[in-house]
Amino acid sequence: MIRLLDTLNHALFWYYLASNLSYLVMLIVALKTTAAHQRRLQSHRLDWFKASPLAPPITMIVPAHNEERSIRVAVRNLLALDYPQLEIIVINDGSEDRTLDEMQEEFRLRRVRAVYISEAECAPVRGLYRSEVDARLLIIDKESGGSKADAVNAGLNAATSPYICVVDADSVLERDALLRIMVPIMADPKRVVAVGGIIRVLNGSEIEGGHLKRVRLPRKSIEVIQVIEYLRAFLIGREAWGQGNMLMIISGAFGVFRADIVRAVGGYRSRAIGEDFDLVARMHRHLLEKRVDYHIDFVPDPMCWTEVPSDLRSLARQRARWQKGLLDVLLPNLDMLFRPRYGRIGFLALPHLWLFELFAPIIEITGIATIVLAACLGVLSRQFFLQFLLFGYAFATVISIGAVLQEEVTYKRYNDWHDVARLVSYCFLEHFPYRQMHMIWRLQGLWEYLRGDLSWKPLKRKGLESAQT
Amino acid sequence: MGSIFERLWRLGPAAFVLKAIVAAAVADGLLLGFILLRRLYRKRFFAKRDARVFELRQVWERLISGEIPYETWRQNPFDRRIVETIALDALEAAGAEESARLLKFLRKSGLIEKRIFEARTHTGWRRMRALVALGQTRAPEGIYALAQGLRDRDLEIRLAALRGLGRTASPKAAEEILVWVGEKGLCVPALPLQSALIQCCVERPQILIPYVQHAKGALREVLGRVLGEVATPALSVDLLQFVGDGLDELRAAAARAMSHSERGLAFDALNELVRDPVWFVRLRAIISLGQLCDPRAIPDLLRGLTDSNRLVRFRAAEALVGLDMPMVPIFQEVVATQDRYGLQAYLTALENAALRERLEEELQSGAASGDSSKEYLRNILLTGMLRAEEPQMTESGAAKTALLS
Repeated sequence: MIRLLDTLNHALFWYYLASNLSYLVMLIVALKTTAAHQRRLQSHRLDWFKASPLAPPITMIVPAHNEERSIRVAVRNLLALDYPQLEIIVINDGSEDRTLDEMQEEFRLRRVRAVYISEAECAPVRGLYRSEVDARLLIIDKESGGSKADAVNAGLNAATSPYICVVDADSVLERDALLRIMVPIMADPKRVVAVGGIIRVLNGSEIEGGHLKRVRLPRKSIEVIQVIEYLRAFLIGREAWGQGNMLMIISGAFGVFRADIVRAVGGYRSRAIGEDFDLVARMHRHLLEKRVDYHIDFVPDPMCWTEVPSDLRSLARQRARWQKGLLDVLLPNLDMLFRPRYGRIGFLALPHLWLFELFAPIIEITGIATIVLAACLGVLSRQFFLQFLLFGYAFATVISIGAVLQEEVTYKRYNDWHDVARLVSYCFLEHFPYRQMHMIWRLQGLWEYLRGDLSWKPLKRKGLESAQT
Repeated sequence: MGSIFERLWRLGPAAFVLKAIVAAAVADGLLLGFILLRRLYRKRFFAKRDARVFELRQVWERLISGEIPYETWRQNPFDRRIVETIALDALEAAGAEESARLLKFLRKSGLIEKRIFEARTHTGWRRMRALVALGQTRAPEGIYALAQGLRDRDLEIRLAALRGLGRTASPKAAEEILVWVGEKGLCVPALPLQSALIQCCVERPQILIPYVQHAKGALREVLGRVLGEVATPALSVDLLQFVGDGLDELRAAAARAMSHSERGLAFDALNELVRDPVWFVRLRAIISLGQLCDPRAIPDLLRGLTDSNRLVRFRAAEALVGLDMPMVPIFQEVVATQDRYGLQAYLTALENAALRERLEEELQSGAASGDSSKEYLRNILLTGMLRAEEPQMTESGAAKTALLS
């Protein structure tokens, strides 16, 4: 028994070491990539792209479910984006509030016919409306399909452009975000099939007329910790994975895809829990099986600002759902693991997700249990325990501060000294007790999935009020 | 007393962990220190720069007229960079007269010569910075230095040189770029090359023709796309040779260019291209036909309306709606195709252009022949359905295509 506990403790140590080392490698790759990207920007002018006749048309798909508070501002913001050929499709996904009425009042909608080809599966559509204020805006009013994927599919069926960009209705895009996200596509339109942009936390920032006026750090601790998580996930994780063409997630809040490929894989899977992750995984599979030379890219500077949960209950639900979504995608793609046909996706990206994302909460809880058991049996090496704790703490903090450093040397959106000091201090504070709570939420997600509970529990949203409008 | 490392070593198996803890803690400290020092440095630097910019702005007119001797600020790199930045920023937004004045200042003060020298002799990021600045000046004397930058080993420097040449918008720069791609092939991403060539070839697009003829593979596609953008009616005959080209991109480029060509010639070529097996060639041909705004294009546009590709259908519909002629005969032709997809595309384009009411009025006023025909067309316009049984299919969701009203 004692030997078993000892072995488990050591295994746990090596697991943590491997996990943190993988993040350290990603941090180094991300720092290098970002430095190159910054150098590139010196000779790069976005107004050239804006004026370029070669810029392909884009359809923005904006699913909206009970978004009465933010829909006006969000759509106004989208219509004001800098891009030469734009079509915006807002899908009123069975909203029970005044979402459609708000749009009707703001954009003077008239009922129209429009090309709608049911290639991707979705709930029945009640009607289509076009704005009299801006003809680029099309509204699809449909019955609720119970998922965001279902709403996006309706938008996909009506989209008339070769590229689609999926954006959340409660997000705020920077004015040049579309130009920036299209840069890799315009540079290599044959190879680049999808591009992900960076998602940043909107809570606490100031909004004026649908545009971000001043970036501030949110007040609540739980929101600040999410700022660090987002910086870590996007500026380190996605930057590094994207560099190696192993990007597995393009956030549902902001990403551009080639419409024909999305249609070729059947659109979004309506019942998928993590529809964004699911789509990218299926695209990888489809393109690798067809032996297509492709690239799924990530660009760190087209920024999309989105609201994150500001209460523990909503955050717990969101994280549980993400974990369910992870399992929901990884299980059907189990056959891709370690098969040469799927290349680096099968040998690196998916194993990393299984080991360091999906199993992480299980391994963590096992670790805690063995430590408690060892302590009860009186065989816990205090020295080992302390060292283990200190090492994990210091190493994880390096990664978090590395993410803050990335933001500091590149985009520097938090200009206030006070904000940066708070951000850095939360790099030290996030480990207790947030990390343990996070582990429990993720375990809950796994448990719910295994029980067959795939329901979408609503999150408490403030709309764009979470920012200081 | 032993060192800290000896003590760690004596700890035995735990030494590795302890070292890792120490290393991580040191890394934390270094990262924090870096953030702190960088912030402090930047704060001081920008305060100093801001103050100096203010001082120089106060004497700006005297400074660019040479009243203040150039030597007073040229020797100081900090001042020189500020003056250059202000001048280049002003150049971006300046009209012709002001541009000439600023360019004269940049020449007289030796700033352009200095950048040319740096672009030729420096390497790495210094060369890149010089090339970017040189491009911003748009000075013709910088073209050769920029062209030398195209031969740098570093991709980013080549791109900076290419963008710089593009900014000059000069046929001479286009020739330099074309000679370079002729020698080296496509060794930069396509988009910046296309952008630069489009800017430089607008004045003399004919310089592209021999390069398009002799280029191969991806480069030929890129040059073809540029040709499609910058072609003028004067090039019509030259462009005809590409209508039957084996490369899809080149046929698409020819189709795109035909909208700028002499009409008689364009219709013949486009008539062939709307039957192309590749969808984006057909798409370009349909768009060009639409741009010609000529009733002679109607048969080809109707053909495009029944195309298998939705983008082609939609563009054909837009072109049909955009024709300046009575709408009822066109609507009759659309209905006669008996193509539901085409009908939907046409009705959508009609809605988008807010012309549905006009068509209704024309139908009411009796432009169609006979009451039954008029009623038939009105019904189709109102329901969007070609046959009576279709509404049921749409409601049940069985139909693949749903026209929603």
